[in-house]
Amino acid sequence: MASTANVLHTAQATPEAHQTDEIDQAHQAHQARVSVRHLTKRYGRFTAVNDVSFEIRRGEIFGILGPNGAGKTTTLEILEGIRTADGGEAFVDGLNVRRNRRAVQRRIGVQLQATTLFPELTVRETLRLFGAFYPHALSPEELLREVALEDKARAFPQNLSGGQRQRLALALALVNDPTLVFLDEPTTGLDPQSRHMLWDTVLRLRERGKTIVLTTHFMDEAQTLCDHIAILDSGAIIAQDTPTGLIGMLGASAAIECELRAGNATPNEANIAGHLAAIRTLPAVTDAREGAAHALIYTDNVEQTLVALFQFASQRGLTIDHLQTHAPTLEDVFLKLTGRGLRE
Amino acid sequence: MTMKAFGAMFWAGVTMLRRDRVLLITSLGLALISILVFGWLFTSNGATALNLGVVDQDHTAVTSQLITGLKKNSALKVYQGTQSEETQALSDGHRGAVIVMPANFGADFAWGHATLQVYYDQSSPIEEAIAHAAVQSIVANLNQSMQSAQSAQGGHAAASVVTLHEQAVSVRSLRQIDWLTPGMVGMLLMWANLTVGALLVGWRQQGILRRLAATPLRPGALVGSQILARLALSLTQGIVLLAVAMMLFKVQVVGSWLALLATMTLGSLTLLSIGFVIGAFARTESVAQAISTLISFPMMFLSGSYFPTDNAPAFLAPVIKALPLSYLNDALRQIINNGADLTAPAVHGDLLILAAWLLVALLLSTRAFRWA
Repeated sequence: MASTANVLHTAQATPEAHQTDEIDQAHQAHQARVSVRHLTKRYGRFTAVNDVSFEIRRGEIFGILGPNGAGKTTTLEILEGIRTADGGEAFVDGLNVRRNRRAVQRRIGVQLQATTLFPELTVRETLRLFGAFYPHALSPEELLREVALEDKARAFPQNLSGGQRQRLALALALVNDPTLVFLDEPTTGLDPQSRHMLWDTVLRLRERGKTIVLTTHFMDEAQTLCDHIAILDSGAIIAQDTPTGLIGMLGASAAIECELRAGNATPNEANIAGHLAAIRTLPAVTDAREGAAHALIYTDNVEQTLVALFQFASQRGLTIDHLQTHAPTLEDVFLKLTGRGLRE
Repeated sequence: MTMKAFGAMFWAGVTMLRRDRVLLITSLGLALISILVFGWLFTSNGATALNLGVVDQDHTAVTSQLITGLKKNSALKVYQGTQSEETQALSDGHRGAVIVMPANFGADFAWGHATLQVYYDQSSPIEEAIAHAAVQSIVANLNQSMQSAQSAQGGHAAASVVTLHEQAVSVRSLRQIDWLTPGMVGMLLMWANLTVGALLVGWRQQGILRRLAATPLRPGALVGSQILARLALSLTQGIVLLAVAMMLFKVQVVGSWLALLATMTLGSLTLLSIGFVIGAFARTESVAQAISTLISFPMMFLSGSYFPTDNAPAFLAPVIKALPLSYLNDALRQIINNGADLTAPAVHGDLLILAAWLLVALLLSTRAFRWA
């Protein structure tokens, strides 16, 4: 009995854990794979990451959603060990990233936002080279099969299309068969078909038990893939929840978009802003804002609101044009929280 | 596992350098073309016939007959003169060998015991071999004809009538191609190694270094493996160049190969570290390339790669003294042309200065280089 206990003990204690640094409490308690506490990064006067905290559970797809410049890449790079934070701590599998950089890097896979590779090495040679950096690596053939690039093994990076290069970058992220994978904006610049191929791959990876952390500014990507999302804006997390939970924040079941025109005047001249206050009082309306040249009306009973809206328009002599309704999205959530769109 | 990573990065480095056509052309290509151009355009030893000096101190019918026979040989170009004249000509490199027929040659020949004194140029083993073979065959013919004459007369043939006394003369005849070759090796090492800084800056700019930073590969392993890969490439190119010079133009490495390889290695490392310094202070790859080129061209011409700088104007002297390639070229010449080995003080001075450059450049570049 004593001998098996010894075996168990030595199996669990990794050399890194013996170093004098804290084993993350959350790791023990909640089985969080990644734990980020009050992470801060400054560049001179500019704060790129501002007191960011979140936890990522084992086996989930975690998304960091935000517009360009929000600090998503910086946050990810701190977790990947290629940037050091000015404040706060980050833990991966209970290991402090700052102090156990190499140990962390051995168990994670990383796809950077733009991956440039050695132009003088073929695809297969690159995969083999990166594989040699880890104790165990998958063969180039296995990796190429995973990302559907088998026929490009002998190609040089310059001869690959944008989508193919992204797939190669993904293959590189999987070279050590990691259980935790970081993807930085994996579908930016991809055509729709490649995007969906990548989404399928990510979902497949989760099915295999991997934990995925991805950043994106596409709300459909976040909504489709992620189990949990942290919305980042100007370096700070402004909301964190499941996609359903975040959308639920709006309290609306639908969003109505339409143009309101006064007679022959253009929609802008109709001064939508002037009518918004009144629109907000319409039945079941939870919120109303002005878009580019249209009104955005959030409601939790679309039928009621529509009827009331038509009456309202005819009362005020307005014509309704280009009427659309859609289910609320994360874009709407971001709009509500910041007054700006994700893509601006 | 770090050995595996280092090894993989080393082989990847070798593969990448092998495929870098621009690098191969500017280093080995340039040096090879220079050697071929200068070697073929300016050959002073184009004659395929052996220049043979003949000193006739006997002046008998035997010696005249012998000399006539030699002159008929199309592989020989016979010059006649006094001993002092011909041996001087041998020293000056104008003769491949000198045969002296001493005063009593004719008489001794009739008696069956004649000797010939032969002087060879030993500094050129190939020339010496040719001369040796030629003279041996002359004497063999002579002995054979003597034997047949003797047996025709019914007498007992002596095994050999003429024996050779051979003496080697050390001749230092330096052709232009001999002088040029070490300079070309030095220049090749410069071109092959100075651009390493630009390469690293390019990797940083393109985000390759960042991608590598996300792996467990240590920066030390990255740098070390690339240094080793470049060194391997430089030495290989240098040996190829020397092989071409040796095979095509009969250039010889008179000194020790160990000293040669050690000097080439130290020279490569010094130039590599200077390349790192350039990379440390250049922001972009094109700036680093520009600086490398700006340094390479004057260094190529002012450090004695193509022509001697002994008679350069006084104001250039400090510049020449400041260039590390000047010392590398000098050390290479000492070894290749003058037969120095690692114990030669002339070589020590050069190697010390190269080592000093290496240390300073290494310190500077490790402090200043930005990895991200």
